[in-house]
Amino acid sequence: MSELPERLGEDVMALVAARDLPDGATVNLGLGLPLAIADYIPPDREVLLHSEQGILGFGPRAEDRADIDPLIMNAGGEPVTRPPGICYMSHDESFAMIRGGHLDVSALGALQVDQEGNLANAQIPGKPAPGLGGGQDLATCAKQVLVVMKHNAPNGDPKIVERCDMVVTARGCVDRVVTDVGLFEIADGRVTLLEYAPGWSVEQIQAITGVELAVAEDVREITLR
Amino acid sequence: MINKVVGSFDEAVADVPSGAMVHFGGFANPHNTPNYLFAALARQGADQLTGVSTFAGYGVEVGRALFERRGLDPLSDGWDLGLIAELGRLRKLITSFPNGNSRELLYPFEHVLRRGEAEVEVLGQGSIAERIRCARAGIPAFYTPVGVGTFVAEGKEVREFDGVPHLLETALRADFALIRAHRADRFGNLVFRGPRTFNQTMAGAAGVTVAEVDEVVPLGELGPDEIHTPGIYVQRVVVRPSTPHDDWRTPA
Repeated sequence: MSELPERLGEDVMALVAARDLPDGATVNLGLGLPLAIADYIPPDREVLLHSEQGILGFGPRAEDRADIDPLIMNAGGEPVTRPPGICYMSHDESFAMIRGGHLDVSALGALQVDQEGNLANAQIPGKPAPGLGGGQDLATCAKQVLVVMKHNAPNGDPKIVERCDMVVTARGCVDRVVTDVGLFEIADGRVTLLEYAPGWSVEQIQAITGVELAVAEDVREITLR
Repeated sequence: MINKVVGSFDEAVADVPSGAMVHFGGFANPHNTPNYLFAALARQGADQLTGVSTFAGYGVEVGRALFERRGLDPLSDGWDLGLIAELGRLRKLITSFPNGNSRELLYPFEHVLRRGEAEVEVLGQGSIAERIRCARAGIPAFYTPVGVGTFVAEGKEVREFDGVPHLLETALRADFALIRAHRADRFGNLVFRGPRTFNQTMAGAAGVTVAEVDEVVPLGELGPDEIHTPGIYVQRVVVRPSTPHDDWRTPA
C-alpha cells in the first residue's frame, strides 16, 4: 500500500466536481470541500450557485480585499464575489427552493457514503452532538446529490462502504461521488468507477474502498485540464 | 400614533423573563447578527432560556479567531449566541449546528453540552426555518420528507403522501424574536441588506419581535415596493450605535 500514486488535491477535486455540473444548473454548495467548486466553474457554462442562508447566484471566493462584503459569504463563512443577477432571500425562502425541488444539484461533503446511496455527514468524531446544517434538506430534496470528499478517513478507513455505520443524514440520496482518487456513480445498490486519478489502477482504488466496485465500460483517466 | 422605536437595547429586552423561549436571528456571521440585543440580554440576566438558532454561536474569542483566520477584520462588537451560552443562560437549544467544525476552536455551547448543563434538539435547517415560518403564518404543523429514516424522526408521526413517507413537524413560536435588519421606520417596516437569513424568517414568529437596525428613517422613506418585512411583524425597533462599542470583552 505504500506505493500508491499521488492523490488529487482539493482544488483538483473541485475542478472535477465543477466539470460534472451542466450548463444552466442551479447548484447548492455545502460546507467543506464543495465550497471550492465556485472557483472552478468552466468558463463556457453558466451555473447558478446557491447558499443556504439566502443567496442565489454567487461567484468565486473573493481574493481581493476590495471585493469583500462581509455580509456576502458562502456557507463556510468565506467571502464570495457578487456577479450580476445575484439575489438574496430569507432562510425560509431559501429552503422552500431546496425543499420544493428547485435545485438541480446539491454538492455536499461527507464522512461516509454507502452502496445504497445513504449519506453520513452529521456526527463529526469527538463532537458532543450531531450537526445537520442544511444537509438533510439538501440531500433529500435536490434532483441530484454530488458528494465531494476524501476517499479515506484520516485513520485510513474507507469512506465509501457497503453500509454506513455512522449517523445517517439522509437515505438513498447520493448519485455521484468525487474523491481524491476518482469519480463514482451510485445507482441500484452499486458503486461504479467512472474516472480514476492519473496513475491509479482499478485494483489500487478497489484496495482502499469498502465496497466492491463496478467499473464503467468507458472508464477513463481524469484529465487535469 | 404608532412608534415602535425604543431608546435603548436594555429597554428593548427588559421584559424577557427567565424561562422564555427566544428566536435568535442571523446565520453564523456577526455582521448579520443582532449583536447589541444579545449583549443586552446577557446583561439583563434572564436564564433557563429555550433558544432557537441556526447555530450555537462562536462566542467572542472564537469568533475573533475565525475572522482573523479568514483574513477579515474581527469586530469589536461581534457578540452572538455564544455569549449567552457561555454565561450558562440556555436550558435548551433547538439548532442545526450545535458544534463548530474545528477541533481546536470550540463553540462555547460545546463545553456546555459536555458538562451536561443544557439540552439540545438537533434538526435540519429547513425544518427549523419552516417550523418558524408556520408559526408566523398560523399553521400548527406540516409534513416533510426530510429526516425520514434518521434520528430526527424519533417520536414523530409518519404519514405517506404519494407513497412517500413524511414526518409531522410542528410550528415553533417563541416569546421573543431578536433579529437584525438594515433600515426601519417607526411602523417597524424593515429592509435587510444581504442574505436575510433567519432574521426575516423569525420576524412575526414570536409574541414580541425586536429588530436591531443600522438606521431608522422617516416614515415614507422606505418605499412600498422596497419593504421586505411589513411592520405588523415587528413590535420594537432599536438603533445600533453609529460608532461601534470598542471593548469586545464587556457587553456594554
